[in-house]
Amino acid sequence: MAVLQRPVPGAWSPRRLSRLLDDERWLGRLMLAPAILYIALLIAVPFFLALYYSLSDITVGSRVMHFVGLKHFSAILRTPTFQQALKNTLLFACASQVVVLILANVLAQVLMQDFRGKWLVRCLVLLPWVAPISLGSIGWLWILDSIYSVVNWMLQAIGILGPARRLMWLGKPDLAMISIITVHVWRLLPLATVILLAGLSSIPQDIHDAAAVDGAGFWRHHLQITLPLVTPIMTVAVLFGFVFAFTDMIVIYVLTRGGPYNSTQVLASLAFFTGIDGGDLAEGAAISLFLFPLLLAVVIILLRLARRAEVT
Amino acid sequence: MRRYSGTGVSRRTFIKTAGSVALAAGVGASIIVPGRASAQQKTLKILQWNHFVPRYDKWFNETYVKEWGEKNDTQVIVDNIGLAGLNSRAAAEVSAQQGHDLFMFLWPPPVHEDQVIDHREIYEECEQKYGKAIDLAIKSTYNLKTKKFYGFSDSYVPDPINYRKDLWDDVGMSPQTWDDIRTGGRKIKLKHGIPVGIGLASEIDTNMALRTIMYSFGSSEQNAEGMPALKSKETLEAIRFVKALYEETMTDEVFTWDASSNNRFMLAGKGSLALNAISITRTGEEKKIPVADTIWLAKAAQGPVRQIGLEHVMDVYVIWKFAENIEGAKRFLVDYIGNFRQGFMASEFYNFPCFPQTVPDLQQLISHDANANPPDKYKVLEDVLNWATNVGYPGYANAAIDEIFSTWVISTMFAQAAVGKLTPAEALDQADTEVKRIFQKWRERGKV
Repeated sequence: MAVLQRPVPGAWSPRRLSRLLDDERWLGRLMLAPAILYIALLIAVPFFLALYYSLSDITVGSRVMHFVGLKHFSAILRTPTFQQALKNTLLFACASQVVVLILANVLAQVLMQDFRGKWLVRCLVLLPWVAPISLGSIGWLWILDSIYSVVNWMLQAIGILGPARRLMWLGKPDLAMISIITVHVWRLLPLATVILLAGLSSIPQDIHDAAAVDGAGFWRHHLQITLPLVTPIMTVAVLFGFVFAFTDMIVIYVLTRGGPYNSTQVLASLAFFTGIDGGDLAEGAAISLFLFPLLLAVVIILLRLARRAEVT
Repeated sequence: MRRYSGTGVSRRTFIKTAGSVALAAGVGASIIVPGRASAQQKTLKILQWNHFVPRYDKWFNETYVKEWGEKNDTQVIVDNIGLAGLNSRAAAEVSAQQGHDLFMFLWPPPVHEDQVIDHREIYEECEQKYGKAIDLAIKSTYNLKTKKFYGFSDSYVPDPINYRKDLWDDVGMSPQTWDDIRTGGRKIKLKHGIPVGIGLASEIDTNMALRTIMYSFGSSEQNAEGMPALKSKETLEAIRFVKALYEETMTDEVFTWDASSNNRFMLAGKGSLALNAISITRTGEEKKIPVADTIWLAKAAQGPVRQIGLEHVMDVYVIWKFAENIEGAKRFLVDYIGNFRQGFMASEFYNFPCFPQTVPDLQQLISHDANANPPDKYKVLEDVLNWATNVGYPGYANAAIDEIFSTWVISTMFAQAAVGKLTPAEALDQADTEVKRIFQKWRERGKV
């Protein structure tokens, strides 16, 4: 004998599930959930963990920690290495962003023009961004090598350097800083260029035509029309650039390990050497978190600037 | 409003299908991948570096562990990584509380003391079977304060002087003392334009070479009791000497040094002297680089106070407390020591035994090597234990010494004085403050 089963109130029936999936309110939450979960697990949790570590005495070899307050922050502030790393970080970030902005503007303008092989140039421009940064940095390590540097070889070949003279790209403080900024610019330029290209493409052609009819020259056109219109999106490129410059240590780790004598040491690399190699995880966390308030301020200012500069 | 046709995919269908696929993938994976419970054979997981001598890895990975595994009914898995990744990998394993059963460092890892078993019984069993371990091994794996062996050292790598015999003969000298190196190096640089290469950078070989000079000048980061002792007239003298050595015999290239610079520098014929393991001459012999025959080895140089050098690297195995096969790992180490002669041969004399009795014919072997020219090139290493010491000399390696080593405090001190960024006294003051601060931190944690 067949037994009819009535649906139990509150149980999941296919019809109820279908209704739920059609509900914009629930569906929106469902679709957002992976992104929120990602941010919570991979950004929020490590951040608060680092914050917690920085206020404790944890080491890489311990799982017990004791609260020590702001002790690490006050201790590192007094060390010359930290002070030097802080200065280097600001110099590295600001200098690389200035160069990236100028070059990305030029490159984006060039790539807006029509010419043969444009797709190939666009591919080549993107290469440094898609290649693993560690591999790229190792390539640069060889390019800047003290014995086999291809840069020195070229400079000798064209007569700028004498046959016996070699520039120690990674052995002199100024040259080493220039070298790591160059590699960082090489790495970030594609991203900034693509962002600016998107901005340039979004400017309606009518505006360019109107400017041409009014007789605006290149500079007036560029400075008074194009640049103000791409400023909001350029601010996003600068924001990304700053975040990468403040947090990335791979270029420095591969090329100089902070040397010569800490002249290229930045907060991210110092945090790694102290926290992971040196074993003092708490102090490493304190060093890495030191720039958080500054970075937060930069982000807020840049986002506000971007909103104000928006042309509606 | 546009409506989807019957052949299109509605939002509801899409989500249902995607959910079903994800569920099926999850369930399917658990069906396809057999669980661990079905495995009867034991497993031993080992992590160690990519050896500088490839033949060693071939022997260890493809011959030795296979034979040992068959004898002990164990599947041995060996993972090799670059030396720069060892600390990060260890930190990750500790954080995850899982990883390899045996983890090999190339330096003492005292910071992981709480995470590893006490390796005392392995030393005791090995000493019972193979005789006494060398002092260098004990001082690199024992915490004097907590009385715990935080690692087990099977071998160390000597760090002799590598020098161009033709150039040194040409100026009528040999590098026996640090004064010889300064004088001879200057003469060679003036006559041939070929400099000495002792790193002044943030890297491991620099760390070793500069400590060698410090120790031979009677200076050290700590005393025998483990108290900070950097600030001394001996250290000041060592800094002044390195400044003079840099100015008279070297070039700015030493600030770019990395772990392979010594090798490139000497084998490219660009250097007259470097402190390094025998990988320079071995690479030269293997690749038949003409200059290799002119590169000879010498014992550690005599300083004003003593003749002393460091180990180039120190193999230290640790067994994590969270390792799944602790007993297998212990057994493996004891057996490995018993077979160390094979390891010594496979490493082409790179790794020297911490239990000397395991290679009883070491003197004969290194006195006549078929690949070397002259065949007794490696004979200078016969009394290496008389002049090789540990990082942290005259005390034991400890967590403070490890952090000082890893954060380049000593190399920065020497480099800043060498280029004149700071005076020797200022550089010493700065480094001394940092050394004391680091010691204080680890003392508060009860590790020093």
